[in-house]
Amino acid sequence: MAAPGVIRERPNVIGALGGLLWLLVTIVPVYYLVLTSLRRQQAYYAENPLLPPAAPTLGAYRLVLENDFLRYLTNSVIVTVVAVALVLATSLMASYYLVRSGSRLSRGVLSVVLLGLAIPVQATIVPVYYLIVRLGLYDSLFALILPAVAFAIPISVLIIVNFVRDIPAELFESMHADGAGHWRILHSLVLPLSRPALVTVGVYEALQVWNGFLFPLILTQSSSVRVLPLSLWTYQGQFAVNVPAVLAAVTLSALPVLAAYIVGRRQIVSGLTAGFGK
Amino acid sequence: MTLSIRSGAVSRRAARPRTGPPFWLAAPALAIFALFALLPLGGVVVLSFTEWDGLGTPSWAGTDVWFDTVSDPATRQAMWLTLVFVVLSYLFQAPVALLLGVFMAGRQRYRAVWSVLYFLPLLFSSAAIGITFRSLLDPNFGLSRALDSTAFRTNWLGDPDLALYVVVFVVGWCFVPFHALLYQAGVRQIPATLYEAAVLDGAGRVKQFRYVTLPQLRYTIVTSSTLMLVGSLTYFDLVFILTGGGPGDATRILPLHMYLTGFRGYEMGPASVIAVILVGVGLALSLALSRLSGAGRMQSQQAGL
Amino acid sequence: MRHTGLRVVAATVLAATLAACGGASPGDSTDENGGDSSGAGGGGEASAWILTGGGWPVTAASFERWNESNSDQRITVEEYENDAYKEKIRTSVGSGEAPTLIMSWTGGTLADYVANEQVVDITADTQELVDRVMPSVAQNGAIDGTTYAVPMNDVQPVVLYYNEDLFDQVGIEVPTTWAETLDAVEAFDEAGIIPFSLAGQSVWPELMWIQYLTDRIGGPEVFQAVLDGQPDAWSDPAVLEALTRIQELVDAGAFGDAFASVAADQSADAALVHTGRAAMLLQGSWVYATFHTDAPEFASSALGFTTFPEIEGGAGDPGNIVGNPANFWSISAAASEAERQTALDYVNEYVYDDEQLAAMLDAGSLPPVEGLDDQIAQSDDAEYLAFAYGLVQDAPHFQLSWDQALPADQAQELLTNLSQIFLGEITPQQFVDAMNATL
Repeated sequence: MAAPGVIRERPNVIGALGGLLWLLVTIVPVYYLVLTSLRRQQAYYAENPLLPPAAPTLGAYRLVLENDFLRYLTNSVIVTVVAVALVLATSLMASYYLVRSGSRLSRGVLSVVLLGLAIPVQATIVPVYYLIVRLGLYDSLFALILPAVAFAIPISVLIIVNFVRDIPAELFESMHADGAGHWRILHSLVLPLSRPALVTVGVYEALQVWNGFLFPLILTQSSSVRVLPLSLWTYQGQFAVNVPAVLAAVTLSALPVLAAYIVGRRQIVSGLTAGFGK
Repeated sequence: MTLSIRSGAVSRRAARPRTGPPFWLAAPALAIFALFALLPLGGVVVLSFTEWDGLGTPSWAGTDVWFDTVSDPATRQAMWLTLVFVVLSYLFQAPVALLLGVFMAGRQRYRAVWSVLYFLPLLFSSAAIGITFRSLLDPNFGLSRALDSTAFRTNWLGDPDLALYVVVFVVGWCFVPFHALLYQAGVRQIPATLYEAAVLDGAGRVKQFRYVTLPQLRYTIVTSSTLMLVGSLTYFDLVFILTGGGPGDATRILPLHMYLTGFRGYEMGPASVIAVILVGVGLALSLALSRLSGAGRMQSQQAGL
Repeated sequence: MRHTGLRVVAATVLAATLAACGGASPGDSTDENGGDSSGAGGGGEASAWILTGGGWPVTAASFERWNESNSDQRITVEEYENDAYKEKIRTSVGSGEAPTLIMSWTGGTLADYVANEQVVDITADTQELVDRVMPSVAQNGAIDGTTYAVPMNDVQPVVLYYNEDLFDQVGIEVPTTWAETLDAVEAFDEAGIIPFSLAGQSVWPELMWIQYLTDRIGGPEVFQAVLDGQPDAWSDPAVLEALTRIQELVDAGAFGDAFASVAADQSADAALVHTGRAAMLLQGSWVYATFHTDAPEFASSALGFTTFPEIEGGAGDPGNIVGNPANFWSISAAASEAERQTALDYVNEYVYDDEQLAAMLDAGSLPPVEGLDDQIAQSDDAEYLAFAYGLVQDAPHFQLSWDQALPADQAQELLTNLSQIFLGEITPQQFVDAMNATL
């Protein structure tokens, strides 16, 4: 269908049409979102929602920024960065152990962790809530980070293990023979060779944590630790009928991810494909 | 995600490590996982045998809670809806994501530009998407006023016969790009020589897809399918914001039924029963998928350990 | 800023409260550690959660005033969206994490708090305040003669709003009886105008219909039987008739065909009226403020308001109203003594003080306080406020919203089944059977 590289055939008309259709489906809601966020509140009820506003304004954005948007953004960034760093570090170490330790224990550990893939977050939210309260973490950013890390570990370990397993055993053995300790093996062998997996896990989990709604809803209450998705929900109550303002908040909430994507797209794609040279 | 084709051979060699890494390397991951995932899981099982209104102390109610909850028509209805939701979501997302991923893997420049646009939904949280679509699909102030046709005045989220399909679509809109990215990466791993050989054999585009692309993508398909199926089984955020389970109970799938029972009706016992059911089905599904699909792969993993 | 008269009152109350706290008040629990988690540091700092939208900015402003003049007794305030609040407050109270001031709509929720000893007896401490409030409102905060909650904002009767321009356009009068209502529905439907705007996605606005209809047809005793848990209380013929009339309305196109997509939290129901798409709206009194903010021009020229139509031959008094008597403050039993004292001081000094009353009237909300006729006559919204004030004062019965009056699990069943009635998915008899099963 769409063979990469050398093969050139007649243009794929059906593919292009299908692609174009999905492109429309993808773009229209986003177009509507941005357009509406530029409208005046009164114009929202009067104008055609798919035509550019007669008198575009950034007033809705100003309103959002004046209502603590940057604080929620900062909270989201902190939670995401710390959670992803913890996921990557702990999962990488665990994967190295799981692949290279031949013990029966490791096999048991792997099955337990993989069973965790199917634990739905919502299912455990009530006990998680009490645990967090007991640990004195309620209404803090840690209350969002730790459970997020816990529920990210199964999928991360699964992905990273698949990579680490493909590192030839000779490499481990020769490094070991050279007297390298586990930290050095981890750092100079496992880390670089599983980079693509780490990028995948990092991107995936960053999006998960960044977008998380249920944990913040249940585990925090103050506006000082409110994260972006929850803030959209509260903006909806706060701005009520001011739909342009609500949608401006939605638009703003997407900008940081857009920035990350623009900066990191090349790396993400090459990360996914690297490490398969030989 | 991206899977090597020579794992079987490698793992056999890895079968005899003399000095394996110590257990403490896995300890941090295990500790966090056990404390914040396994322990609450145990907690929810215990709670499922109690009656608790969220205010007082839970009181032991034994298997009555289970009996009452499972025989409740609302729970039955939620189970049925969940099944429909999962199947429809998969049937919608899987083909679109696969075809889109393959399409995006092409090298033409316009596709690269398109790919960036396809990525757009990934920029938004479920809260953001829910709010946007609710506004967009509003029969009074949304799309209906843009296109002056009765087709768009449809009561998308308010018609009980339609709402579930609309939710399936919006959830798909949200997740297709991610899975398409997986497939795109998968396709780019396929050696070009395979396609060259296929062309030499006179295979057309469809045959190349059928005999080269699909088989080569099988592990990606398994990963993506597992994520999709287990994901939609437990999916909550977007449905919660889009419809809150309504109209009536038309989109009250199990996770939402659990949440509404627990956090709106304050019946934590029955809510926990539903939670345990969700976990059970999720586990069974994951296990079945990994058995079914990657039998060879999984065995080689087991041998490798 | 504060008036001397009030200050004297406050001081007296303060003294009385201190005395009460010195002794052992009935609801007193010896919980010192619950205090640290509720967001307050040490000393007399307290916390409160309030809502967003409607008349809530006035409450937020009153806390700001309090904090300015009481830096040693600060109250930290968190704002929540309505639905989010209802979900959070319960878990917070249940785990001893509650704010010092716990807001509720009374009813089943307050009864649960009291049954679990999570709020304290404030009968003696708030007597002064309670005496100034309309009895039909204040009584909601008392259980078996003991006050556990006091009203803290506007009284919220449900009234019928309408767009005068649309009535002129179609050339009919505002309906006062059920027969006229059906005629109006037909006339508007033919003119391509939605007769009644209804936020069916939020479901709770649908309650207003069943509540008014049941009350008009069978009187308040019908629902009281449900509250008392009498077997098969939902089987009352008045309920069946109310449900049947609702389905007749729906079938006649009274709510248009897209009401299930309209959400009240974005005030889309009010928007339909002020944009001229719908003629009437049955909603709580807070919507008056919404009209003024969203469409000031419309609100001053074409917004009309009246009572729910009479039903010919109905047993209920046409003067009865439904709605929310007010929101209420309770004081958390998990709070420390100092926190409770701060909260009580705030309640006694700042709830319905002159400044608060003036601010509420300015915002077009109606304080449930006796003897305000003069102030109302002088306010900008005199016509509306006098109408609503008279409505509340003259009402033989003020029915608290059913979803608040009932225990939470029954309320959820009610909302689900009611939305299915409006969607035509179940019959009135199926509704009755399902609801009887919850009793």
